[in-house]
Amino acid sequence: MRYDIEIPPTADGALEVTIVSWIKNVGDQVSKGQDLAEATTEKITLYVTAPAQGTLTQIFVQVGFKVKVGTVIGSLEGI
Amino acid sequence: MMAAGKQVGLWLDLGLMPYVPSFDIQGQILQARMEGRLTPTVILQENPPIFTIGRSGSRNNILSSTEELQQRGIDVLEVNRGGDVTYHGPGQLVVSPLFYLGDIGLNANQYLHRLEDVLMELLARYDIHTHKTEGFPGVWHEESKIASVGIAVKHGFTFHGFSLNVDPNLDAFNLINPCGVRRMRVSSIRQVLGQAPPMAEVKTQLKEIVEKSFKMETRITSWPDLLKHLECESCNP
Repeated sequence: MRYDIEIPPTADGALEVTIVSWIKNVGDQVSKGQDLAEATTEKITLYVTAPAQGTLTQIFVQVGFKVKVGTVIGSLEGI
Repeated sequence: MMAAGKQVGLWLDLGLMPYVPSFDIQGQILQARMEGRLTPTVILQENPPIFTIGRSGSRNNILSSTEELQQRGIDVLEVNRGGDVTYHGPGQLVVSPLFYLGDIGLNANQYLHRLEDVLMELLARYDIHTHKTEGFPGVWHEESKIASVGIAVKHGFTFHGFSLNVDPNLDAFNLINPCGVRRMRVSSIRQVLGQAPPMAEVKTQLKEIVEKSFKMETRITSWPDLLKHLECESCNP
């Protein structure tokens, strides 16, 4: 099953965040809840975590790009 | 844990502790929080001199050479809070509330502003009237920043928090572009009042305001006691 990886809705919907790092690479095996990426505003770091156990299959938004909270930034194939 | 509609949390004062071990403690507490093994916890600390660079930051905002920093005994560390470069040192109170945003009914932005409100109320108790400045998070007295905020959120759980300049060595801020802003002025309670209140008194005032602002009660604990609790798998949160 394919899962979307989203910027978590813990901040204002209108808030823009910048992807500052991908902690995992495409092809990496991850467990549910594991850190995948970090996104920041000026004063807030948000951790993007794995929605399920599986393999990180796609990264849609690279480091340095700004996206809104709720944006799908990658996908994961669940086990 | 809830008591009569109020959350019951812990108040953990680490005292003066180097940044790395204190952050390790914060990590252990965060993990326990996320696993549901611990109630909300507020961590207080002072650190020996250190510049920390947040996730939006750059080493270029430290204006001194590595040699000069070594001479002054100031460490440098990249950390995972939001924000750019800041200074931590004795006389500055660093506070990290480990809350769950869902419990306090705030999103990350609102929580950040709530921390600023807490700081403003605390400073008002010392007759220091402060304000927020659009686009420049933190708490400002006139044109100077007196307290900084910078948080991180994982699975809805908060960590890092804010730092309040009670009576630190403000000269250290001249060695950096604080928060990435050139020539930003930084102040302290001592600088505004001409004298600093005892740190213990500031902490007591802060405890009262945090409890009121986040509708919780906190019980004072120590790291050895909390560690025993974390290592006791059968213990309740």
